Amino acid sequence: MAAQDLSLTAHLMRRAGFGATRAELERLAEKPYEELVEDLLHPERFPEVERDLLDRYLSEPFATIPVSVGIWIYRMVNTKRPLEEKMTLFWHHVFATGFSKIQNVNAMVRQVESFRRHSLSNLRGILTALSKDPAMIFWLDNSENHRDEINENYGRELLELFSMGVGNYSEDDIKNCAKAFTGWTFAQPIPLYPQGEFPTEFEYRTDDHDDGVKTFLGETGQLDGSHVIDIIVRQSATARFVSRHLYNFFVADEAQVPAWSEAPPRDPAAIDALAKAFESSNGDIRSVMRVLFNSDFFKKARYGKVKSPAELVAGVIKLAGTHTEPNRGLEAVGVAAAAMGQSLYDPPTVEGWHTGREWIDGGALNERVNFAVDELDDVTRPGIRDIVRRIAAEGGSLAPGRLVEQCVELAGPVQVSGATREAMLRFAQAGGELSFESEDAAERSARRVARLLQFIVASREYQLA
Amino acid sequence: MARPYALLRAGFPYVKTLGMRRVTNDPVDVALDDGMYYVLNRSGIIARLQWDDDGSWDVGDLKPIAGSGAEDGKFLWPATILIDRARTLWVSDENTHRITNITREGEFISKWGERGDGEGRFDGPAGMAFDSDENVYVSDSRNHRIQKYTKDGRFILQWGEFGSAEGQMNMPWGLAVDEMGSVYVADWRNDRVQKFTAEGQFLSAIGRPGSDDGEFNRPTGVAVDGHGDVYVADAGNDRVQLFSQEGRYVEKFIGDASLSKMARDYMLTNAGPLRQREMTSLEPQKRFRRPRSVRVDDQFRMFVTDMGSMRVQVYQKDAEPLTPDLILPPPRSPSLVTN
Repeated sequence: MAAQDLSLTAHLMRRAGFGATRAELERLAEKPYEELVEDLLHPERFPEVERDLLDRYLSEPFATIPVSVGIWIYRMVNTKRPLEEKMTLFWHHVFATGFSKIQNVNAMVRQVESFRRHSLSNLRGILTALSKDPAMIFWLDNSENHRDEINENYGRELLELFSMGVGNYSEDDIKNCAKAFTGWTFAQPIPLYPQGEFPTEFEYRTDDHDDGVKTFLGETGQLDGSHVIDIIVRQSATARFVSRHLYNFFVADEAQVPAWSEAPPRDPAAIDALAKAFESSNGDIRSVMRVLFNSDFFKKARYGKVKSPAELVAGVIKLAGTHTEPNRGLEAVGVAAAAMGQSLYDPPTVEGWHTGREWIDGGALNERVNFAVDELDDVTRPGIRDIVRRIAAEGGSLAPGRLVEQCVELAGPVQVSGATREAMLRFAQAGGELSFESEDAAERSARRVARLLQFIVASREYQLA
Repeated sequence: MARPYALLRAGFPYVKTLGMRRVTNDPVDVALDDGMYYVLNRSGIIARLQWDDDGSWDVGDLKPIAGSGAEDGKFLWPATILIDRARTLWVSDENTHRITNITREGEFISKWGERGDGEGRFDGPAGMAFDSDENVYVSDSRNHRIQKYTKDGRFILQWGEFGSAEGQMNMPWGLAVDEMGSVYVADWRNDRVQKFTAEGQFLSAIGRPGSDDGEFNRPTGVAVDGHGDVYVADAGNDRVQLFSQEGRYVEKFIGDASLSKMARDYMLTNAGPLRQREMTSLEPQKRFRRPRSVRVDDQFRMFVTDMGSMRVQVYQKDAEPLTPDLILPPPRSPSLVTN
């Protein structure tokens, strides 16, 4: 197996998933790249996360938000369907809905389950499910959007942030879009007390729906929400806007969304290619993702994107080999991601999180490094033991230079700068050659390997995917 | 008490609901004392409820005990609670891998167990049951076996291994021991209940995966009453199923809850939830959601910890024991003549 393949496979798994262990990478790299992409695009080929275990140990779906966040991170780490989980996070970024307003765990969890179910389907289906989602309806006040008193909030954001972007529609389009969604609401859920949360469902109230003639983006008729979604998906602005979202999330950091009407795309040709795939497939997200992952612009975009806190946390956990079973520590992992600036299920506004360099400030960087270093602070962790075992398998004693090379390779492979490599080398040289000949020597060597892995996860480069 | 030859099953009506959210959050099991019920919450808190619920729950003798933590007398992932003849409480903890004994007031008495797969060690001890000598059986869930101990934690015997053949197990959970010493195991991931002798010899099994009558979806709890009837908390199917001592399916319970006194008091002082409740259907509010355990007392009252809806539902069995002179022996074949 060529090292280049492994490095490309690692890149794919960092972007299309949340990283991979060395053993997983070696297994995955046995397949041609294009086949690997097809596997990712077809999550149904692989089993779901074992929900009975989550239900047994973490009491899903009656959990709190911290437990639900822990469960989600558990899924990111342990899923056999990494792209499904990554797309779920993507849609959560784009259709940002916050628990701070919703105050209903069940509705939030069900919204994210809906993103998971629709992760790679057609945008029409995705927007339809979104428009019928009780959490979204409440978040953007569509439950207050009545036939005789419209509320434009959902109609406006559907166009501005969820599909087309500013500058591609008029104020009248917004009004008529809102009118088309009157009567799209949800059934009153059973109150939290005294029996805990109950789910609620979408409800269409004919008597509260404006069934008059409307004109939306040049099309006139007795339009309702479904017609509006059909029209939106046919717009080339939608193809470009969704493509840019996908590029920003999977390929390279773009400007923040509100600037998109002004700032040109970072790679216009890439957006053209993705938009073309969108239009020729009538908005099929799987088709767009196939073009994206197989493109040269994707393959070349290594280490050019700042990891979100969720990506960092899940990646470090995969490296450490921990949290392979449901456990109480998962809540703390969710808290760690929140301290880094990403409270899952609770994005700051409807714009979602600001990404790229905005993930990193002094405080957040501290949290990121501390979390990563702490996770690797125990040589008994399965991921560290596996790397130590692989290094020990080289036999004899290992020179400091080779030790650094192996750590960088087995932890990723990670692309580290000269300065980081130098620092690691100085540390490695201070301890001399690595030996596993006696029990004591093996234990000392394991601690040195773990320390070098801590150097790697604390490095600037490790913040990049 | 000798088992009856047969039963005239008159009925098994719903009686009442105990607890509510805030008091019995995520209840996983209940220990039945004389007039007092110790409801074990997954958080580690043990709520103390009275049969004659007057709506109070956090005053005097009713103050909750224990709590969340790894220290002595607290719990991280508690699974089962038992009360012994000395009226002290026993709690298994799947996270700390310990069995802990506390008083009814929550004071720590003793503990035993640690993580491992050898004799006397556990990986996720979940179900527990006493035999008539007060030795305790423990389902050592992630080790896929049952262990038997004295009350002070001395290992006596063990059986079981991972698998789905007779006598093998896949993450066993609830346990019960009948008055003859037979041991019933909710074999969680095999979707069945297995019956063993006191020494672990396989006797019989009930159920298979599914949602039809007599089938299970991840059974969590099991109980046996003085008639030999077997109750199974069929959590994944949101129900409790009842089987005769021969393993014949008799009936199922899906939940009939009404408001407990404390829940009624809460609602009457909260105008918003009161209105919202009025806007919704009562139907789903009655039903079990992921019932975790089932217990039967010596008055044949069935207590179901209705975890998802944060309460305990109580039913009362109404059955007449029959002697052989009152009922014909079982025929070999059915008959269409039923008059």
